[in-house]
Order: sequence, then C-alpha cells, then structure tokens
Amino acid sequence: MHFKSLISLCLTLLLVHSVHAQEATPSFSGTTLNTGQQIDLDGFKGKVVLVDFWASWCPPCLASLPAYNKMRQEIGTSDFEIIAINVDEDTEDGLKFLEKHPVDYPVLADPTGQIGIPWGIRTLPRSFLLDRDGKLITTYKSFKKGDEVKIQQQITALLEQ
Amino acid sequence: MIFRTLKPVLGLLLYFGLQNLAYAATCSCAGVPLLASIDTSAKEKGQLFITYNAENHQISDLVSGSQDVPDETDRDRHSFSQVLSASYAMTDRWSVSALVSYVRHTRDIGSSFLGKTTSSGIGDSVLLLRYTPLFITPFSRHEVSLGLGSRIPTGDDDYGDLFILSEDMQPSTGAFGGILWTSYSYAFNQAATLQFNTSANYTYNGVNEREYRFGHEFNFAMGLGHSIGTRFSYSAAVRYRSTRPDRRLGFEIPNTGGKWVDFIPAVSYAVTDKFQLGLSGRIPVARNLNGVLQFTTSYAYAFSASYAF
Repeated sequence: MHFKSLISLCLTLLLVHSVHAQEATPSFSGTTLNTGQQIDLDGFKGKVVLVDFWASWCPPCLASLPAYNKMRQEIGTSDFEIIAINVDEDTEDGLKFLEKHPVDYPVLADPTGQIGIPWGIRTLPRSFLLDRDGKLITTYKSFKKGDEVKIQQQITALLEQ
Repeated sequence: MIFRTLKPVLGLLLYFGLQNLAYAATCSCAGVPLLASIDTSAKEKGQLFITYNAENHQISDLVSGSQDVPDETDRDRHSFSQVLSASYAMTDRWSVSALVSYVRHTRDIGSSFLGKTTSSGIGDSVLLLRYTPLFITPFSRHEVSLGLGSRIPTGDDDYGDLFILSEDMQPSTGAFGGILWTSYSYAFNQAATLQFNTSANYTYNGVNEREYRFGHEFNFAMGLGHSIGTRFSYSAAVRYRSTRPDRRLGFEIPNTGGKWVDFIPAVSYAVTDKFQLGLSGRIPVARNLNGVLQFTTSYAYAFSASYAF
C-alpha cells in the first residue's frame, strides 16, 4: 500500500511534466531612449532579433549590456538587431546606467510593464531570440560572463538558415 | 483590485486562525518539517526544482503549560528527518510539489530500563497543488499563492520489536491528511531584494489503522527576507503553531496538543544560478501546551540544498 502510494506520487509528477504549451511573442512599439527613433517590433521582420529586458538594479545586466553591444558589432546589423527594453520604475535610472554603459542598439523604456507583462517577464535579465519571421526560437534566463559566446553561436546558426 | 484578490486569502487565514484559537492546542513531538520543506517551489513555467532538506530536532524540554520544568529523568529525545522534494511548474501560475521523507527518531531515557530506543524509515509524503494568481515581478510587488494537497502515509506506523512503539516514535503517521496552504509576499523594492513573507497552512489529520489521530495542525509564519547581491540572502521569521490534542478511538490523549511560537532565522547562498545551499534554525520563544507535562522542542536546525532545472 505504501509502495503504491509512492508510485502514484511519481506518476503524477511525470504526467504534469509532460504538459506544455507554445508561447507567442507579443508586438510592441515606442520611441527609443537613446536614439529617439520610433520603432516597431514588426518592422524588424526579415532580421533575426534579440529582445533583451533589463534594469539598472539588475547585477547581471552590468555584464549583459556591454557583451550584447560587442556581439552586435561583431555580427553586424544587416540581418540582425538587438532591441533592449528598460523596465526601471524611474526611467532616469535607466538613462544614468546607459551613460555609464552606452549601447548602440535601440532601448525602449517600459516602466509600467506595458511591454514586459505580455512577454511574461518575472526576473531579469531575460532575453528572447526571434527568427526572421518574428517567431520565438529560445529564451535566455539570467546572464553570466561567457554566455554571449553560446548566444552568438545560436544567432549565427539562425542567420545561416 | 489587489484587495479583492487578497480578500479570500485573508478570509481563509482568519477562518483557520480563529478556528484554532477556539480549540485547545499541542505537542506532537514527532514534528517532521514536511510543510516547511515545501515552502520553496518552482515558479516559472517548465521549471523543475529539487530540494533536499535535513533537520535535527531536539525534543528535550519538559513543559507544564507554559512553564519549563526541570527534567530529572535525564531524557534525550531527538528526530532527524530528511526530506526530498520536487516541485514542477506546469504554467506560471500552476505548480505541483511532491516530497518524500525519511525519519529517524531516537529516545534515550537515562533512568529507565528501556534505555535507548530508535526507529527509522520512510515517513509521510506530501502532494500539493499550488495556484499563484499574483506573483512578484519587476511590475508587481505582491505575490499570493494558494495550495491544496494531501499527506500520504508512505511509511511504517507499526514500528517496534516486542511492542509497537508509541505514535510519536513512528516514522509515519499511518493516516492520510488534507492540507490547505497559502502564502503572501510583498516586495519593498522593484528588485525585490527586501521582502515581507507570510505563509499559513492547515493539516487535517485522518485516523490510522490503530484508530489514532494526530491533532489537526495550523501554522502561521511571518517574517522578512533580504538579499545581498545575487548570491547571499537571509531571513528572520516568527512562526505560530497550534495543534489539537491527539485522539485514539475518539478519546483525547492527555498531554498532547498546544500552541508554540518559534523564531526561525535562515541564511542561504547561491553557489550558482541554479544551485543553492541553506541553513536555518528553530528557536522556541513561547509555548502553552496541554496537559500536565509535555516534552517539546528545545531547538532545531536544518540544512538544505536545492537545484533548479
């Protein structure tokens, strides 16, 4: 009886483990903080896009922003772009961060979660790699130094498809 | 909006809180921290969280009501419990947790001919389904979680050689139980480095094959947690615990049940993004126990290791 209880416990876990669903990538648009451009995610179709959510108080973002900027320079922007979304409640904090750690790619401000909530952002940093059709390929949770190598490999592979 | 969401939770807390205040309360000395081990869970869709928890629980304080009484029997009683739990998030809001325990009870009565008695084996297991309608994100400061589950008697409750040992020395309770669980957290800043946490649970215990029923139990804990950088965090909480007297064949067992207030400090260190170690303690602050005399918690300390897949 006791053994049966253990088995049913394990089976329940296995069953729920198999439940999965596909995620969609909601669209967004806005004026960038750093370049003043009006951008729209849909306007980047045809390019591979990395959407990166970050904040000034997020320690791994100190490493991810400069690493992504360097990666973008190496890959080039003819077929690839990074769009960063700053989620600081006070956008000034994000701007101060960008003064110290400038990036060349567009950065949008999202202090209230208009973009972040539909994208299901719970922790930072969180990045999403989209293919040329805007379909989600993979999600990167958190960031540590060296992660950019694997990310760059995946982007390059996607660009070659 | 938030109040509307919290209203049923507060109602639930109030209901169980008042219900337990109306009853007499405790001592189940064999307390295995099953539900404490299940407080951490997978929080993001697809995440699997495995935790190992080991607790040493010293149960040598002799108490009459709320007064400490000198123990002249030179008695030593402790429990060492190991709990392995797995939590999986099917969606961002729904998760399921399951845990299995392995328990070793030791009783050493210095002046008794019985001397040292030990029992060990697989204890109870728990299966808990959780729903989190609100969670802390960079855009929300509140987290509310509700859970419904069952305690499953996966171990032996008839341990003993010549005689079956008393219920508090058995690895398992031998009976199914129903569990209601809830928690609320508030983040003081957007980074959620400082949080106020509360949790409450109620366990309705069934009757085992020997017609014994452990007292229904209510726990309510509240405290603060603070993270320093990305690796180190610490917390301090106060827990109120109340259990009704145990019963056999429907009759109350004397010297069981009561109310406790414990202080629970804890520290944790994230070795990597996925692997975390923790230490915690349980220090009695106040207690008011049923009956003439009860042995109860002197202190407890626990080690935990968790890995997120």
